[in-house]
Amino acid sequence: MVSRILIANRGEIALRILRACRTLGIEAVLAYSEADRSSLPALLADEAICIGPADAKRSYLSAPAIISAALVTGCDAVHPGYGFLSEDDAFAEAVRAHGLTFIGPSPEVLERFASKEEVRRRLAAHGLPTIPGSGLLGDEAHALEEAARVGYPVLVKPSAGGGGKGMRLARSARELAAFLPICRSEARAAFGDDALYLERWLEDNRHVEVQVAVDRYGHGVHLWERDCSIQRRHQKILEESPSPAMTAAGRRELAERAVKAVVAAGYENVGTLEFLVDADGNAYFIEINCRIQVEHPVTEMLTGIDLVATQIRIAAGEPLGFTQADVVPNGHAIEFRINAEDPAHEFRPGAGTIERLNAPGGPGVRFDSHAYTGYDVPPYYDSLLGKLVVWGPDRETAIARGKAALSELVIEGVITNIAIHRALLESEPFLEGRFTTNLLDRVGAAAFLTAAERA
Amino acid sequence: MPDLHRPGDRTAAQRAADHAGIAGLADALVPALVARLSTANLGEVEIREGDWHVRVRRPAGAGPRRERPHRAALPIVALPGAAAHATTAQPPRPAGDAAGDPPGARQEMAVSPAVGMFRPGVPVGTRVRAGDRIATVDLLGIPIDVVSPIDGVVAEVYPQPGDGVEYGEEVAAVESAPPPAAGAGEG
Repeated sequence: MVSRILIANRGEIALRILRACRTLGIEAVLAYSEADRSSLPALLADEAICIGPADAKRSYLSAPAIISAALVTGCDAVHPGYGFLSEDDAFAEAVRAHGLTFIGPSPEVLERFASKEEVRRRLAAHGLPTIPGSGLLGDEAHALEEAARVGYPVLVKPSAGGGGKGMRLARSARELAAFLPICRSEARAAFGDDALYLERWLEDNRHVEVQVAVDRYGHGVHLWERDCSIQRRHQKILEESPSPAMTAAGRRELAERAVKAVVAAGYENVGTLEFLVDADGNAYFIEINCRIQVEHPVTEMLTGIDLVATQIRIAAGEPLGFTQADVVPNGHAIEFRINAEDPAHEFRPGAGTIERLNAPGGPGVRFDSHAYTGYDVPPYYDSLLGKLVVWGPDRETAIARGKAALSELVIEGVITNIAIHRALLESEPFLEGRFTTNLLDRVGAAAFLTAAERA
Repeated sequence: MPDLHRPGDRTAAQRAADHAGIAGLADALVPALVARLSTANLGEVEIREGDWHVRVRRPAGAGPRRERPHRAALPIVALPGAAAHATTAQPPRPAGDAAGDPPGARQEMAVSPAVGMFRPGVPVGTRVRAGDRIATVDLLGIPIDVVSPIDGVVAEVYPQPGDGVEYGEEVAAVESAPPPAAGAGEG
């Protein structure tokens, strides 16, 4: 039973969790840092409690502060959102040790799936093809040795988390040696863990991921895939489903294999299996995300299933309550991540006061954002301001609704990346569904912006 | 009670009477005044009784969020005859800047360094130095010190024992006090 949840996160996901709590009749308390005192979730939550200063290490990454806040506000569960401590098995264990429910996989499951490097081996044993990679990296000499064995180019990845933080593509030993300390320090700052590993980099790949939900009783379903190939510096900026690059049969086979493998490996709660898909349509498993993801609304729009509510119900010990046959994908959905960053200047992040905000509307349009007119965007955290998600009965309609919604969306006072989304919707690679994960960085955002202006 | 003023022209017995009067007024009136201030959305409330008056003012810029009624305002207790000075909104003045004026009492807040359960430490009226522990906040069983921001006297402690407090919450007021016996002029 869960009746009062402490939301230990910020921004749009804190608001998303708050909304799920409201629809489930669960009270929600927001744990916030001093920098987020005036954020929308802090204003809307049933109660809000300051857990520390702006520095995430002493607030959103402080397990004692979060658990203490849950106890003094009378909560019986903690929702970690994404990032921060969301996949930290020691945190989940500490939450449980204080008699609280962790909204996510159990500590045992998180521990089993904690090391990305180990999970690749585990799921390979359950029938998922994986990409060549290394074990955890030791010192620089060991890293260079492993890279030589895997073969350049290699992607340096933190073992403890995702979201592009601590990730670098190294094409040579010299680049790898230069990136190692940077990746370690970024991984330590983002996840409190600086363990790294390497993965062979496939040129011209697509990023396709499968959403799964598995209850405590081993009943699992997949909720189809999302295509997240439009990235800049390994950070997704636009996601859609179905993947325009895969056949219906290929999509079904990938999703079915994915859910079968994670159920066999003992996974529990909502999760996402990420794959790289090469030009021939071969999919290679790269990692599993044991949390709710930023782009989960794409799947919600497609299937009508509330993933955050599902996550809470599974954590509370309820059976899934629906079967694979109930998951019927309908139409096409696209998510645009609206970030406070400047696409014309290397996506440099911005901060400041939002002078005006006009949210778009209309059929099939959803805007999840913690921003409002007068909101001060703090400079301390990631730049995500909100997510515009559009749905249509087919991809063309979804794109048309996306264009209409992006033209309505107005955010003044803070630089945003809205222009790059408008440009993407005009670009041939996107319209033809042949975007690869390296395209935006290779061609440069400026080229897309210029092409869109000319069009 | 806080050792607020030590006018040189009063005897030890009179001072004791003053303190008793202040204590009585504060105990009887301040909680009620603060409650009224909090619920009536007023900026300031004042009550007079004979030569004494008590004025309670909401601190500038204090928001209503997470404010419990009993800590929505800073109580200021004034001596007879010194009311105009002691309760103005001007910043505190250095002690003894004008002959015959009582020194302006400066109040600073001790804040909670952590989110947790409040445990009281020293009683109201205790003389403390900057950095001294006034109370503790229990963070999952680990006591974290709430320290005094200034040399002075603990004027008020807001949370009840066992209350949950958040990071940065003002939990106690400390009133600056002049050094003991300075300028007392008594024989």
